[in-house]
Parts: sequence; structure tokens; C-alpha cells
Amino acid sequence: MNAEEILLKLAECVEFGKVNKAAPFPPAMKGMDGADELTKQALEIGVKPVDILNEALIKAMDKVGEKFTQKKIFVPQMLIAAKAMNASMEHLKPFFQSGEVKRKGKFIIGTVAGDLHDIGKNLVAMIVEGAGWEVIDLGVDVSAAKFLQAIKENEGAVVGLSALLTTTMLSMKNIVAEIKREYPNVTCLIGGAPINDQFMVEIGADGYSSDPQGAVNYLNALVA
Amino acid sequence: MDKTENIEEVISTLSSYSETFIPEIGKDDVNLVNILKGLGMTLADTDDYLLELIDRFTLECIQLLQPKTCFSVYSDLHFDLKENTITISNQTFETGKTVTQLLKKSEAIVLFACTTGSAVTKLSKTLLSEGHVLEGLLVDLIGSELAESITEHLHVFIGTEFGKAGLNVSNRFSPGYCNWSVSEQQKLFPLLPGNHSGIQLTPSSLMIPIKSVSGILGVGTSVKKVAYKCDVCNDTKCIMRSSGL
Repeated sequence: MNAEEILLKLAECVEFGKVNKAAPFPPAMKGMDGADELTKQALEIGVKPVDILNEALIKAMDKVGEKFTQKKIFVPQMLIAAKAMNASMEHLKPFFQSGEVKRKGKFIIGTVAGDLHDIGKNLVAMIVEGAGWEVIDLGVDVSAAKFLQAIKENEGAVVGLSALLTTTMLSMKNIVAEIKREYPNVTCLIGGAPINDQFMVEIGADGYSSDPQGAVNYLNALVA
Repeated sequence: MDKTENIEEVISTLSSYSETFIPEIGKDDVNLVNILKGLGMTLADTDDYLLELIDRFTLECIQLLQPKTCFSVYSDLHFDLKENTITISNQTFETGKTVTQLLKKSEAIVLFACTTGSAVTKLSKTLLSEGHVLEGLLVDLIGSELAESITEHLHVFIGTEFGKAGLNVSNRFSPGYCNWSVSEQQKLFPLLPGNHSGIQLTPSSLMIPIKSVSGILGVGTSVKKVAYKCDVCNDTKCIMRSSGL
């Protein structure tokens, strides 16, 4: 396969969630090379890492996002696609570290202090990373001090805050207030089951998304 | 025998089960439609791969279950329909309009807590940390279903026991739903003497193990179960309403 063919095949693997040769999903691609092997092959024949990212991975994830928005695919397919994307990204990590390939920006994410729910936060982190952003995941039960420290260490980053309990919505409000006091220009995106647009306005956050793809769309609009 | 004697007799019988009721949980206790709703899907949107995955992890989660339940029955009650509160054994709960109205005819109140134990959540976290995000999410959703199923079994058991004495039980309600603040968990747990469920509360009223359910249900000749709880509640932001569960 030449470079163009490999990139096309790689994009297909990401779009349909073929992680590696051993992966049983999707059944129609059983036994074929997946995102893992094809990325390795692309690098071996000299395809530029930036082309792998832009021409295959991000294009594929854009398609995935589009299909999700149109309800042609659902959360499981989106997660499998993101897993395939991440398998490919593993090979690109050294190039991110050396600065040869640049991501769209940095996204700090955490579940607010007092709350230990992490599923929603993890899904958002994975899909945002798959969309080409560097994700700094602070985990769960994250204090305002920890968010502020991460913002200090990652200039220009957007901050994502998650809460699943009505009791920890107050914690979210306090943390957003502290972030805005110290860093008025930092963008705060919030999410979680009890959160809505009205609460976003009330606490002075900048954005709200009810699902991972909404978060990606919001972030991508910031750098468009 | 009058009504009060009936209730006291059932309370006495039930008290011997208040620490030991552990339901048998099987595959049928996990509602596939609810799992799919949690993924934003219906049965028509699924494929064999996903169904097999759900099936496999359902069996694995059932193997890991460490179900525990506990409950207490109280008949010293006061309903304040102006303030929308229920006082149970000198503890006043700000249950809100929906719950107070639906329970106001109760002659006894059952407080309960049920848990799957922590192993299911641990499996979900392990899968997530290994990058198996879909699998981790499925285990989390199955864990929620199992916690509800354990609670449903307890609800049916309590209903059956009171039913023998000609008494009905209401729907069950939990802090955090129907405009009843989740912080009221802090009042509920002290009324479960011994707390044999082993559930711990964080200061933000999160239950540990996470896959746990606590709540309240009413007992009496004039209480009844309503078919669709969301129809009688005005909380348009509720998680249960938005998930369609």
C-alpha cells in the first residue's frame, strides 16, 4: 500500500472502530490490520505524523461526530472509534512531545470536589482527545486549588468541570468563581447530569454540553 | 384485629429480616432496554457485538455482586402538608411537595438502603483505566440496574409482607429525586439502626459503594403505587426523567 492508501485505510479503521488486527470488532473487518498496525506502517514508509493526524485521524473522528449528531451511530460506536483513534495516537505521542505535531489546544478536565463520579468525565476526555486536543485529566474530587494549579501550568487551556450530584453543583459554582477570579479569561465548560444552560449562566461558566460530542463542537469552535 | 395491630404485627415480623434480606439476582434482573437507554439507544439500534458484550458483562457483574440491604419501619409519623415535610421518629425530612403528597396517607414508613457492594464499580474503573471505555461504561450501567433490582426485590418483599395484613405499599422515593434534596441522606441513614448495608456517606451525600440506593416508601390501606412517577413530579431537570428510566 502507498501512503495515500494507508491513510485512507487508517481513516476507515478509526471511523468504524478497528483498533488492531486482533480486535473482533467490527466483524466485517475481522483479521485485517487495524489502526495500530496501519499507523506503524505509515510511519515506517515515511508518512509525516502531522498528515496521519490531520488526513486520517481527525477526518475520521469528524465523520464519527457528524454521524453521532445525526443519530446514525450511538455512544458505543463513538467510543469504539475513539479507542481506535487512541491506538493510533500512541504511535504519535513522541511527535507531540517533540513539538513536530501540534494539537488543537489543551483541555483540563476534572470532576469537582466532593464528587467521585468519573464515567461521564472519562468519556468526554476520551472523545476530546480523539478530536485532536491534549487532555490533562485531574481525576475526581478535584479542588479549586488543583484546577488553579493546572491552569497555571497550562497557559491557554480550556477547563472542563463535571458534577453528577445536586450537592456538588455548589462545589462547581465555587470552583468556577475561583477560576474566574484568578483567571477571568479562562474558558470554563461544564457538564453532568443535573447541569443545564440555566445553571451555566447562573454560575458564570462559558459553555455547557450534555454530551461528549457537544464538548468537542464547543472546543473546536474556539479554535476555528 | 384493628389496623394498628395489623401494622405492628407486620413490623414485628419484618424486623427479623431487616438485616438479612438478600435477594437472589439473575440475568433477568438486568433490564436490557434500560441499559440501551443509558447508551442513548433502543433495541432497534443494537448489533450482535453490543448485545454479546452486555450479556457477558451482565454475567460477570452478577458473579461479583455482594448485595446487602437494610430497612427500618416507623409508625410514629407526622405529615406537614403546608411545609411539605414528613417527621419520622422526631426527624423532619423536607421531602418536598410530590413525595409528601404521595405518602401523606401512610400509616407506616419504611426507610431502606441497598447496595451491590463495591466490586462492580471496581471492575468498571479497572476497565476504564485500561482504555476499555465502552466495557467500563457498560459495567457501570449494569451496576446501576443491579442496584435498582436489589431494591426492587426488597420493595416486593416488604409489599408482600404488608399485603398479607391487607396493607398496600407506595412507590419508593429517594433523596435526590422529585425535588427532595440528596443532602437529606444525612438524616435518613441515622434512622437505619446498625446500617447493615455497610453504605458510607460522604459529606456531599454520595453513597459509597456508589451503586447503592436509599429511600423511603409508605405503607397503609389508602396508599397506592402510581404507574408513572414522573407524571406526578414537576422536576423537569431530573436525571430519571431525562434518561427516560
